[in-house]
Amino acid sequence: MRFASTTALLLSLAACTDNATDTGNQGGDSGQKSGPTIYVALDQQFSEPVLNGFAKELGIKLKQRHDAESNKTVGLVTAILEDRDQQRCSVFWNNEVAHTASLANKGVLEPYESPNAEDVPSRWRDPEHRWTAFAARARILIVNTELVPNKADWPTSYKDLTDPKWQGKCAIAKPKTGTTLTHFVSMWKLLGDDGMKQWIEDMQNNDVQFLPSNGATMRMVRDGKKAFAFTDTDDFHVAKLKGFPVACVFPDQQADGIGTMLIPNSVALIKGGPDQENAKRLIDKILARDTEALLAAADGAQIPLRTGVPSPKDPEILKLGQFREMQWDLLWTGDNLAAFDQKFGKLFGL
Amino acid sequence: MASRNDRLARLPLWMALGFLSLFVLVPLLVLVYETFASPEGFTLAAWRALAEDENAKAQLLASLQLGLGATAVSAVLGAGHAWLTVARDLPGRSWLGPLGIAPLVVPPIFMAMGISDLVMDVGGFWPCAVLLGVAHAPFVAVLTTRGLRTVDGRSYESALLLRGRGPADRWLLRMIAPELLAGCLLAFLFTVADHGVPEFLTVKGKTWHTYAEGIFSRWTRRAVGTTHAELQSPIVAALPFLAALGCMLWAALRLRANNPDRGVVKPLPVQTLGKLRWPALLLPIVYLGAGVFVPLFVLTRWVLGSAQRRDPMGIDYARESFAKAIDQGLPDLMHSLYLGLAVAAVVVLLAIPLARQSARRWPVLDLLVALPAAMPAILLGIALIRTFNHNPGLGWTNYDFYAGWGFAVCGYAARFLPFAALTLASHVRRQSIAAEEAGRFVHRSASSRALRLHILPLMPAAWSAFVLSFVLALRELDLAVMLPAANATAVRRLANAVHFQHEDWSGVIALMLLSFAVLLPLLPALLFGRKLSSLS
Repeated sequence: MRFASTTALLLSLAACTDNATDTGNQGGDSGQKSGPTIYVALDQQFSEPVLNGFAKELGIKLKQRHDAESNKTVGLVTAILEDRDQQRCSVFWNNEVAHTASLANKGVLEPYESPNAEDVPSRWRDPEHRWTAFAARARILIVNTELVPNKADWPTSYKDLTDPKWQGKCAIAKPKTGTTLTHFVSMWKLLGDDGMKQWIEDMQNNDVQFLPSNGATMRMVRDGKKAFAFTDTDDFHVAKLKGFPVACVFPDQQADGIGTMLIPNSVALIKGGPDQENAKRLIDKILARDTEALLAAADGAQIPLRTGVPSPKDPEILKLGQFREMQWDLLWTGDNLAAFDQKFGKLFGL
Repeated sequence: MASRNDRLARLPLWMALGFLSLFVLVPLLVLVYETFASPEGFTLAAWRALAEDENAKAQLLASLQLGLGATAVSAVLGAGHAWLTVARDLPGRSWLGPLGIAPLVVPPIFMAMGISDLVMDVGGFWPCAVLLGVAHAPFVAVLTTRGLRTVDGRSYESALLLRGRGPADRWLLRMIAPELLAGCLLAFLFTVADHGVPEFLTVKGKTWHTYAEGIFSRWTRRAVGTTHAELQSPIVAALPFLAALGCMLWAALRLRANNPDRGVVKPLPVQTLGKLRWPALLLPIVYLGAGVFVPLFVLTRWVLGSAQRRDPMGIDYARESFAKAIDQGLPDLMHSLYLGLAVAAVVVLLAIPLARQSARRWPVLDLLVALPAAMPAILLGIALIRTFNHNPGLGWTNYDFYAGWGFAVCGYAARFLPFAALTLASHVRRQSIAAEEAGRFVHRSASSRALRLHILPLMPAAWSAFVLSFVLALRELDLAVMLPAANATAVRRLANAVHFQHEDWSGVIALMLLSFAVLLPLLPALLFGRKLSSLS
C-alpha cells in the first residue's frame, strides 16, 4: 500500500506540475503555444470580454490575470515587482495611473510609443512613453436620493464630509489602495500638510466611516445605510443600473472649488515580459479610440479622455469639459505613494 | 540492513518530509533570512521599525481582545452544542450533533456579508467577535464531542451515584478539559489570523485594527515601498505573530497528547434536561442559524434578486441569475473543484506517512507538521512567492512551475496538511500497537503489512481528512489572491463579483460551492449508509 500511495503521490505531483498557466480566459488560436500575459486591475467583468475580443481579433493566445478587489491594483503591482528578474507580465492594464507611474520610476516598464496614443492629451502620457492613460473614472459623491431627496441638500464638496450636519452619515474608503490612495496623495499636495491633516482629523471627529473599498462605500449608500460617500463613477453607475435610488455629484465645482478628480486607466509594456511583439499589438488595441468608446458604453461608464469619442449615455456622468477638473500632479503623486502610504498608515492605525 | 522493499516503504515518508521542507520550512527560512539581509548587508532596520511602530502594539492588543471575545463565544456555542447533543436528551440531537461542524463549511466572510445584509449598520468589536466566534465554534464543538465520547460512562455514573449531579458534571468537565481547551485554542488561532471579517465589520473613524489586518496592509505597502524596512515590514510583523501562534498550537497539541484515548467501554448516559428540554434548542438554533442559515438565507435572497431594485424578486429573476452564473462563474467554480480535489488528494497522501511517524516514533513531528496552521495564510503566500517565483532548480527546463496549477496545489496542500496529518495521527494513536508488532512476525512484505495493518484501518479517518482539506481549499481566499494559478478560483471571483454588485449570480455560485462542500462529506452516508455522527 505504501508503494501504491507513493506511486499515487508521484503521479499526482507529476500531474500537478503540468503546465496550466492559462488561468484566465483565452481567445485566439489555441494552437499557439505562447502569447502575452496581461495583468488587469480594471474590474474583471468589464475588462475580460473586451480582452477576449482583442485576443480573437489579433489571433493570439492571451493569458489574463485579474486582481482581487481587496488589494486592488497593489496586488498586481507587487507581483510585477516580485517577478522583476523573471517577468511573467507582458502588459499591465491598471485601473488608475499613479501606481503605473510609480512602476515607471522603479524601472520595470519598457518604453513603447503606440501609434494609437497620439491623440491622447499629453498630460495623460508619460514623456518617456513608458505608459499611456485612457478612459477615466471620476471621484464623485454618491448620494442616496431616498435619504436626501431634495437636490438642494445634496453635498457638493469634499468638505461636506466634515460638516456636522452629516455626522455619522457619510463614508469614504481607507486610503490604502487604488483610487482612494491616489486621491488622498494628490489632495495632500493640493491642501498642504496642515490642510490635509486637519481634513482627516475632522472626518474622524465627524464619525465618517472608513471602509475597505470604494465598492463598500457605494453599497452603504445604495442600501440606505449612509446618506452619501466618495466613490468612483463606475461603482455609482452600476448601482444606478440596478435600480437603486442613487445620484451622482461631481464635487467641488464652485468657483473656488478644487474640482473633481479624474483618474484614468493606464497601460504599460513591462520590461522583459513574454511575447513583446504581440504585447505591443495588444497595447495598440487597448489604446484605440474604439476601446474608449466600448468602455464608455459598458456598465462601468468610463469617461473618454479624447475628444470625439462617444461619452457614456447617462447624463449624470459628465463629459470632459462639462465639469471643473481637479488639477493634480500625476508624476509627483506616483513618486510619493510610498511616503504617503506610511503616513496614512499612521493616521489610520494601519 | 533494510531490504529494498523496506526502503521503498519508507519513500512516502521521505517524500512527505521533503514536501514539508520545500513548501513550509525553506520558504519560512528564506523570509527570516531576508529580514536581516538588505542589499547593503546585515541589518536590523526592519525589526527596529516594527519595535518602534505604535500601531503594531495597538493592533496586537486589539487582536488579543478580539481573540478572547470570539473564543468565549466559540466555547459557549461549541461546547454547549456538543454537551447538549451528546450528553443530554435534546430533541433532534441525532441530527443536530453532526450539524455542529456545518458552520465550518461557510467562509466567515459570507457570514459577515449575510449579517451585514440583514442588519442595518452592523459593525464594531462585539458583532465581529460574535461572528468569528460562531465561525470557529465547530473546532470546539467537534473536539468537545470527541472528548465526551471518550469518557467512560460507567465512571460518570459512579460519580453521579456517589456525589450527585453537580460534582459529577464538574468531574466530567475536568475529563474533557484538554479537548475543550484545544478546541478553544484552535478557535483563538483562527480568529486572530482572520483579517477579512474585522476589516469588513470594524472600520469606523478612529477605529481599531487587528494585527492580521496590519500584516495585510503592510503587504499592500510592498507595492510602493522602497526601503528594505518597508519591503520587509509585513514579514517582520508576521514572524512574531507566527511564533506566538506556534506556541499556542504547541500547547493545544500537548493538551491533546496528554489526554490519550481512554478506551471507551460504555458511552456517557444521556441525562434528561427536564423542563429545559425544548428551551435548550435555542442554543443550536442560534449557533446554526448564525453560522449556516443566515448566510444561506441571504445568498438565496440574492439569487432571487434582493440586491437590485429594477426587477421584482422571484423565480424568474433566479432563472436569470442562474444563466449568468453559468456564463460568468462556471469556469471558476470548476477550477475550484478540481483544485480542491487535487489538494485533498495530495494532502491525504502526504499526511498518512507523517501521521504514522508522528504517532509512533517522532511526536515532535506533530509540531513541525502543525506549523502552517499557525502561519497566517498571507505569510505563507509571501513565503511561497519569495521562494519559488524564480523557479529555483528548474531554470534549465524552461518550465514555469511557479505560474502553474501544480504550484497552487502544493501551496494549498502545505496550508492544509496540518489538519489532515493531526487528524490521522490521532487515529493512528488509537490503533493497537500490539497488532502492528505481531504483524512484523508474519512473512509478508513491508508494503503488504502497511496495507493491511496501517492503511486500511486509517481509511475512514483518511476520508474525513480528505473532506476537511477539500472544504478548506474551497473556501480559501488569501492564497487564492496571492498565488497566480489560484487566482481563477470561485471564492476570489465571488469576492470581486459581490463588490461589483453581481450578488445575483455570485449567490448562485456561492450556493453551488457550498453544495459541493456539503455533498462530499454526505457521500458515505448517502452511498453506504455510514452514520452522520462520524462527521463530528
